[in-house]
Amino acid sequence: MTLTHLNARGEAHMVDVADKQESRREAVATGKISMQPETLALLSDGGLPKGDVLATARIAGIQAAKRTHELIPLCHQLMLSKVSIEFELDHTHSCVHVSARCRLNGRTGVEMEALTAVSVACLTLYDMCKAVDKGMIIGDIGVESKTGGKSGDWVRDDLNKVSSKALPESSLEKSAESQKTVTVLFFAELRERIGVEKLSVSLGDLGAPDIVSLKRWLTTRHTDFMALENPRILCARNQDMVSVDTMLKPGDEVAFFPPVTGG
Amino acid sequence: MVRVQQAPFDLNALYHSLSAERTDIGAVASFVGRVRDFNEQPDVEALTLEHYPGMTEAVLTRIVEQAEQRWSLANVIVVHRVGRLTPGDDIVVVLVASAHRHAAFEACEFIMDLLKTQAPFWKKEHTRQGDYWVSERHSDKEARQRWEQG
Repeated sequence: MTLTHLNARGEAHMVDVADKQESRREAVATGKISMQPETLALLSDGGLPKGDVLATARIAGIQAAKRTHELIPLCHQLMLSKVSIEFELDHTHSCVHVSARCRLNGRTGVEMEALTAVSVACLTLYDMCKAVDKGMIIGDIGVESKTGGKSGDWVRDDLNKVSSKALPESSLEKSAESQKTVTVLFFAELRERIGVEKLSVSLGDLGAPDIVSLKRWLTTRHTDFMALENPRILCARNQDMVSVDTMLKPGDEVAFFPPVTGG
Repeated sequence: MVRVQQAPFDLNALYHSLSAERTDIGAVASFVGRVRDFNEQPDVEALTLEHYPGMTEAVLTRIVEQAEQRWSLANVIVVHRVGRLTPGDDIVVVLVASAHRHAAFEACEFIMDLLKTQAPFWKKEHTRQGDYWVSERHSDKEARQRWEQG
């Protein structure tokens, strides 16, 4: 692995992308800003002194993505074809989740633009709310996925979302306990939201061997799994629709998904 | 017969396989669901159908078995497509054969009403304004509940 922004003498330089193939590229970055529950309530009710907080932060994020090359020294100026910013108000964790998606047909990736968009959207949220809450914390900024280009598609590894203990393959010494696992699947909108398709979870990690405990355990691993708390979400055990109090056995396949819309 | 596939289906061929050399069949009812160019938003350019392989087939088989317990049926075919489809494409076909028409009509509707609310398929619509996952419809839930009362 080499750092392409360093030349043979270890000096910083801008990578020549003229000979690179153009391809459709997309990157998604996420982050969050934590605040007092009262601040979040004001934000969702539109009661903050500076006006529509989310609309302003969205524009700020989009503008920032377009100007990434002015901020990051060796970044190319890109003709972005799309920048979208989404906010999710999380009252359980008292924070706002920010996600940015950037897209273009071009020769370089757009993850720096997505990261810049998320960062500036978070900074704008801070600015818009700081009159009532100075203790807000911006955090967990990272790239979730990128597609297109020579290095191929990349999605944040499930390992980063769920501790390695949950994936027995990754540990050299497999204890008898860790082999008692269930496979967890996510479908459709829920899969996209969480960014995970399949997981292996050790039953020993759960408070109790049932689906409620599995959901609880997942939501403590990563805030994205909070989407499972939505009452619309259905679950199946071994391909049979079941209720959340259903017990689990080693080897079971558990699936979570939104209401079905076939036909 | 229950099948989930990407490829288009040939309604005529399915009709033949349902009823060929069967002289006890007096009625065949069929339903074909298609992709519309408008739904929750106008200008639907395409949709992607995702499913839960294994569970989908199991649920469809169970729905057909329930229909066979409720009505006297000679044969049933359900084919549902997955993957990317464009407006005008067929999505699903249900063919029900029986001795008399009432059983065929009712069972065909019953199978579709249960499929809509129980079979693990999900639609994502692609429009000029962007992509979105289709929401479940309350009317579909009511249509299914009708059969529970009856």
